[in-house]
Parts: sequence; structure tokens; C-alpha cells
Amino acid sequence: LKFEPSELPKISNHQGDELVLSKDALLELMMAVLAKGRGFRFKAKGWSMIPFIRDGDVITVDPITSEPCQLGQVVAFRSTDERCLVVHRIVARTDAGYLIQGDNAMNESDGIIRHEQLLGQVSRVERNGRRIWLGQGPGRVFIAWLSRGGYLAHLRLSLMGLRDKIRKLLPR
Amino acid sequence: MMTLNLESVLIPSEDIVAREIEGELIIVPLVAGIGDMEDELFSLNEYAKVIWRQLDGKQSLDAIVDILAGEYDADREEIAGDVLGFVGELTRRGMLVEV
Repeated sequence: LKFEPSELPKISNHQGDELVLSKDALLELMMAVLAKGRGFRFKAKGWSMIPFIRDGDVITVDPITSEPCQLGQVVAFRSTDERCLVVHRIVARTDAGYLIQGDNAMNESDGIIRHEQLLGQVSRVERNGRRIWLGQGPGRVFIAWLSRGGYLAHLRLSLMGLRDKIRKLLPR
Repeated sequence: MMTLNLESVLIPSEDIVAREIEGELIIVPLVAGIGDMEDELFSLNEYAKVIWRQLDGKQSLDAIVDILAGEYDADREEIAGDVLGFVGELTRRGMLVEV
């Protein structure tokens, strides 16, 4: 039984969310790109890295090198169930590996992750086409300390509360 | 710029990642060392997938047209035109290279 082709052979470019891939599919593609020694760029989902990375920001991840990672660096690794990519910050370095935590977590870390478990390091974050500061420069040790203590999350909540109070005081 | 004809033998470029996942054939070009999954994610329709699977760097396009002519109810010449048009576009995009 033969079928007549219903349309010409076609390739389509999908930008943004046009092609909805499952977490598993996206992770498979990311792993395939890393296996070629290349980095990748993708849209972040979730709020665990607020204020530095927000839901919808576009992140560039470079392959990890054999060089030890630095305190305050933002790295990528597979989640415990291996179904998605986690992008969090190194908040301490130990003999066993790196203590990793999301900036929006209050003292709740991902535990110790060994260097061999790391897949990549975040080199760039974009929001609405503009590059965002990721706190990986000279202030990274301080940012890591703030993140580890949960102070970034507390600070953010305090600032939000202050903003709400100011709004209420302002005449309408 | 190379000229493609039915004697050409093509293979996917080293500068892409192609995977069949969840029924879709996805191609990610690796431009400047980066696989851009936000703005440069490509997929193929069913007819294109059948052609892509045959591009193994061993068979000529002519041999691929023969295989397709056995599968599709269409003129061989028409299929040859479809194949040349499709691989021409992918070659221009740097997704296929001639062996």
C-alpha cells in the first residue's frame, strides 16, 4: 500500500514556546549537546534562583571543565530523579564536593554534589533580550554567603513588604 | 558552493545535534559552540523525516529516491525534485554535508 505525500518535505524553525518539549526530551537534547563538548541556551523554568534568575529568563550553560569550580559560581546538574536540569549556586566547597543551593531557598540545599556530577556552568543570563548580572564576579563569595544563609530570600521578602507599605502610604 | 545532484552522498553535519524524541525529529544547530534551544530549534515533517533517516553518508540521493519511490505513490521525478529541494535547503543551513 502506497501513500501520496500530503506535503513537501519541510523543516520548521520553532522559536520560544512554539514546540513544546517535555522535561525528558529537553534534557535528552541538552545531554546530546554537552556530549559534543558544546554549550546550550534555553529558557529557565521556576523560581528557585530569584532574584538573579527568574522564570522565563534565557540561560546559557557552558560544558563543565576539569578545573575546580569557584565559590558563588552557578552550575547545572541533573536532579535527584534525573528527570530535569537544576541550575543552582555553589555556596560552599568541601572535600567531598560542592554544597549547592538555590538563591531563593531558605537554608534548604541540594546537598553535596561532586565535580563529576556537574554538567555545566552558567555563563550568561538574559531577560527581555538584556544581559543580567548573575553575581559571579568579584562579589560572588558574598553572594554565596547570602545565599547559603537564606538571606537573599529574606531580603527579597523584606523588600517586597517594604514596597507594599510604601504603596499603601502613597496617595492614590 | 557545492552543486547537488542525484549522485551526491550526504551526511548530517558534525555541527548539529539531531534526535528523534517523542515522535518529533528535532535538530539543534551548534552555532558558535552553542546549541540554541530557545531560538534555533528545528523539526521535520513526516515526509522530511523519511528522507532524513536515509541520509547516512553511504547512499546516493538517487538510491534514496528509489527507496521513497517504493514507499510513496508519486512519480519518481517528482520525488527526486522533493528530495533535491529538501537536502538543498538543509545543506544551505549547514545541517548536511557532502561526503
